[in-house]
Amino acid sequence: MSTKLLFENIDEPGLHTLDVYRRRGGYAMAEQALAMARDSLVTALKDSGLRGRGGAGFPMGLKASFIPQGKMDKYLVCNADESEPGTFKDRELMQKNPHSLIEGMIIAAYAVGANKAFIFIRGEYVQQAEILEAAIAEAKQAGLLGPNVLGRGVDLDMWVHRGAGAYICGEETGLLDALEGRRGNPRLKPPFPANQGLYQGPTLINNVETLTAIPYILRIGAEAYAGLGVEKSSGTKLISVSGNVKRPGNYEIELGMTGRDIIYGLAGGIEDDREVLLWFPGGSSSPVLTKDDLDTVYAYDELAAAGTMLGSGAIIVVDDRHSVVDVAVKTASFYKHESCGKCTPCREGTSWTTKLLQRIQIGEATPMDLDVISSVCDQIMGNCLCVLGDAMAMPVASMVTKFRPQFEQHLERARSENEARLLAELQTTEPVLLGAGALASQH
Amino acid sequence: MPRPELQQITFTVDGREIEAPAGTMLADAAKLGDVDIPVFCYEPKLGAPVGACRMCLVEIEGIPKLQTACSTPVRDGMVVDTESARVKAAQESVVEFLLLNHPLDCPVCDKGGECPLQDISFGWGRGTSRFQEPKRHFQKPVELSPLIAIDRERCILCYRCVRFSQEVSEDYQLVLNERGAATYVGTFDGHPYVAPFSGNIIELCPVGALTSQAYRFRARPWDIEQSGSVCTMCPGQCNISYTVRDDRVMRVLSRDNEDVDDGWLCDRGRFAYQSTYVDERITQPLVREAGELTPVSWDRAIAEASKLLQGSVGQVGALAGGSTSNEEGWLLRRLMTETLESRDFDSRPSGVVSVGLQAALDAPEAQATVPDLEWAHAVLVLDTEPVDDMPVLDLRLRKGVRRNGLRLAVASSRPSSLDPNAELSVRFAPGAGEAFVCALDAAIGGVGDVTGLCQAAGADPEAVGALGRMLREAGEDVVVVWGERLTHGLGDGPARNADNAARALLKLSGRLGLLDGRTGAGLLQVPSGGNSRGLREIGFLPNVAPGFSDPAAVGRGSRQIAQAAIDGEIRALYLLHADPVASFPDRAVWEQALGAASGVIAHAAFLTDGVREHATVVFPSEAGAEKEGTITHPDGRLQRLRPAVRRQGDARPAWQTLTQLLTSLGGESTALTSMMVTSELAEAVPFYAGITHDEIGGFGVRWQDRDAAASFPAGDTGPFTLDAPVAAPAVNGALRLGSFRSVWASPEVEHAPALKFLSPKQRAELNPDDAAERGIRHGQPVRVSAGGAAVHAVAHLRTTSPRGSVFLETGIGARSADVLRDDRDEAGGLPTVSVELVGSEVAAG
Repeated sequence: MSTKLLFENIDEPGLHTLDVYRRRGGYAMAEQALAMARDSLVTALKDSGLRGRGGAGFPMGLKASFIPQGKMDKYLVCNADESEPGTFKDRELMQKNPHSLIEGMIIAAYAVGANKAFIFIRGEYVQQAEILEAAIAEAKQAGLLGPNVLGRGVDLDMWVHRGAGAYICGEETGLLDALEGRRGNPRLKPPFPANQGLYQGPTLINNVETLTAIPYILRIGAEAYAGLGVEKSSGTKLISVSGNVKRPGNYEIELGMTGRDIIYGLAGGIEDDREVLLWFPGGSSSPVLTKDDLDTVYAYDELAAAGTMLGSGAIIVVDDRHSVVDVAVKTASFYKHESCGKCTPCREGTSWTTKLLQRIQIGEATPMDLDVISSVCDQIMGNCLCVLGDAMAMPVASMVTKFRPQFEQHLERARSENEARLLAELQTTEPVLLGAGALASQH
Repeated sequence: MPRPELQQITFTVDGREIEAPAGTMLADAAKLGDVDIPVFCYEPKLGAPVGACRMCLVEIEGIPKLQTACSTPVRDGMVVDTESARVKAAQESVVEFLLLNHPLDCPVCDKGGECPLQDISFGWGRGTSRFQEPKRHFQKPVELSPLIAIDRERCILCYRCVRFSQEVSEDYQLVLNERGAATYVGTFDGHPYVAPFSGNIIELCPVGALTSQAYRFRARPWDIEQSGSVCTMCPGQCNISYTVRDDRVMRVLSRDNEDVDDGWLCDRGRFAYQSTYVDERITQPLVREAGELTPVSWDRAIAEASKLLQGSVGQVGALAGGSTSNEEGWLLRRLMTETLESRDFDSRPSGVVSVGLQAALDAPEAQATVPDLEWAHAVLVLDTEPVDDMPVLDLRLRKGVRRNGLRLAVASSRPSSLDPNAELSVRFAPGAGEAFVCALDAAIGGVGDVTGLCQAAGADPEAVGALGRMLREAGEDVVVVWGERLTHGLGDGPARNADNAARALLKLSGRLGLLDGRTGAGLLQVPSGGNSRGLREIGFLPNVAPGFSDPAAVGRGSRQIAQAAIDGEIRALYLLHADPVASFPDRAVWEQALGAASGVIAHAAFLTDGVREHATVVFPSEAGAEKEGTITHPDGRLQRLRPAVRRQGDARPAWQTLTQLLTSLGGESTALTSMMVTSELAEAVPFYAGITHDEIGGFGVRWQDRDAAASFPAGDTGPFTLDAPVAAPAVNGALRLGSFRSVWASPEVEHAPALKFLSPKQRAELNPDDAAERGIRHGQPVRVSAGGAAVHAVAHLRTTSPRGSVFLETGIGARSADVLRDDRDEAGGLPTVSVELVGSEVAAG
């Protein structure tokens, strides 16, 4: 199932230029869309079954339909923060095929009546930001952006805004705050961005891949797109496979493959033909799966049924040479470092969990601390302002639950190692107190 | 935006049916049914909820996830559970999380005993902690400012202080630094958080992270009592509560009154109580003997004073300062009219407005209230700087703009701190307020010579036109907040242009429909003194009898009293909490006047310039916390001063002293208590009729809301004809002199140890281009002179300062702008001054 849409011509040299992109039929869909009624565009998006590719998987067409009608300042924001560990698909899209993102944004902006569009790109993507800026300049030159787009009487301005390096700015409302020039902290919802987003105006905010998919959907038709993949997970999805696999990289798949097909098929299996210890199916914030779950169908609802999520489509594979404790510490520390600090459970919970795991790692804990971790994760989940807290609690809790024996073994080993080291230290150190004998000898 | 109408709905919390206005946040609405939902970050005064602390999570039927009660508006039929196992678990976890890094130093923490974190931990926490790791550490405590100490270990990061700075006072200084568990509150670059309203964050803090440097370690909650009163230091008359320990004021807290202060205080109101207990305070009567003020007994002082007054019958002038209560003003008025045969008394520093116009401006139909500012369609701030003149109004206007879409316009000479919030800011030449109002009236009415009047006012005709259009088109609810200085007048007669400015203001108000009694629209005056309105209404003006009735005879106003003293027509001066040398315009004239008088009796708390040099008898004034009486807010609210502590030293209430003088001079008084004086004056002022301390209560009562308001006399109704206004002087190489009085210019600030550092130094605010022409750079010493007089100042360049003007501070003693004010031309026009560089820079350059 290697239907290619977004990656169809991805390796064609010069695709990032307007010339080559046009030669490949680029912007034909924008021309077509701008001749359509806005309603029918939104309907087409709904019919395609396209779900948000950033992580939450919310139906894109439905989201677009929430944007109020009427004349007011409306905004389109592209979330190009791509900060979820293990995710690097948007980077390739923006680097090699920026014009299809711009085309997708022209169509989306027209569909919801937005005339200002922003691409919020993570600060580390310097090259990609420059490519996008060049592509936008080209598009402006060609009358595809700016006043009177394609002579259709619609205005659309587009800017690239570079982030300053915070995971939380990938959260849509944190992104909006950062874009407005504030500290990137998530906002309370409701109100949702569709009603009060950027500068309090109605805002459609979507991931790079979601917006890039739009011209391809129009090209093959909403129905054909919906026909790809499986029920409720239609279309193609870019996945980023990383970790201990032979062929890491981005792949475009039709949803509905199994984990095994991806890891052992596309990615060529595990390095040195080791066993899978665990794998994250949808970025580091998804609950982990084990080697027993390899046959799970890779689609939104199927993964949800397996107690995890498709997320951003980033598969991280960890083989059996690694300790689950180290993976847990690494994961928790990342979220502790990235917690914005606004709400209590996330701020305190991520920090506490990390401290607990670090104690386990160095063997200064007891199995009871594993219960405390589970309980702390439980206290975080569902009680936070945004999903960052859950993003740590879910994978960590899943590791502690699924690998409890390994955690306990590690604890025992690390503890006895510590004891042995202490004993050795005691035996090699000169006695400090000589006890009663020494006192007696003074007389 | 007009106030929304509230619809009552019914919802259920924990099985109790509760009625609440629709849209109320659940955390507030539950209280109406006596259900307490714990909160930390939620504080409605700070604006929209942020849902950060997660303490208020509750279960709502039909919603799978727990919801924050602080951000969920109640709807009809909503069913809420605050006691389910899930909710309890969430509450316990949030408390546990908050206490992870919170030090257990309650026994030495100022907040201990009045701490929401303690209360909530006790009420909703688990009681134990499973945290074994080391806590977060910070250096502690550190100075956030000279007024506030910050202990970052105690901070639970609820954001309240940061939100106050960002969204209420809009000084934008406090921010959160770092991220996650390492987050801490501070200023961006570590500079001290100094701002007019900074002290409010101490009260907002739900833990002991922000403490008052002045109160720190002075008392514990079980040592103290709270005593409610009203601050008299400015017309804002914020409701306050004195914290008293062992009969001594230890701190001042706000006493939230939505109709007056919205629960905020400025730092002057919060910290100036310290001046009650300084050595400089006068606490016993003084009499000048051989040129020196010498402590004497009360009997002696009263005898001296009555001897002096007795010998000057018919030749006594009296002034009442802003902190004078209605009772004190009333008794001094009686003393003057009944025993001293004089009508030469005034409560304004300058200008006399005729009684009919005064009544028209103060009529109930024309009166806007403080909350009206928040909900009006548009507000014009005219010739006043709220943050200096009535600070708490500044916050109210910002709130209106930020939350209710209020359209704000500012018309002033000096750039205003509200300019960034205003849709329109219009400048006019310093002192040309009268001409400006005439121009604006013409612009609104679309009649007359707008361009010519604008030229007289030194204003841009286009800007005035735009302002006129905005006010006309904004909607019905327009409020004009105008500064009393607009009617301070220039000339010496019964100030022709004081009346003209009042007429112009009434005329334009009439055009905007502000005089028709519409609720939500009208005028709100920012007077020069804290209780100016009360003093006006009891008739402490030379041309007004109690209740704005016509007096039998008209006396002299402030300026004329000074002149009469110089001319020898007035022999004795009675200064009730007023020192014209220190705080009135025309300092030189007043120095001369006080010097010429054969006796000056003063009620004073501090030896300010005029009192120190010229007073012959000084009675100690009571401090705010010692005083009893009533005062009247600029919107007509009678408020009650209640003594919180015993008077210091030998001080006595001024009403008592005045009663004693009254009887010793042959007058009649049956008043044995301050309250009896209140009843006496309530009888004399028809629209105060029957008002009692009980009725005034803790939050005051607006007399306009009582039946007696019907007896308010009819004022002038127009049509008003305007004279040609006094034109701003042409600037031929000179600069127009403007002045302003900083919120920090007061003897209380000067003498309160905590506030002393804010006591203003003279500075000359200049436009950079005007400065460049004179070779002046920012921060250099300059000399501002006119005629023979000069003031030394530090050049303060502001790009927003209008060209052709220089602004100096007033009310700061011998360096005050008042020194220059008497130098005006023959016609009583506006003064110009020259500014030049002084000192080493000149030599070096």
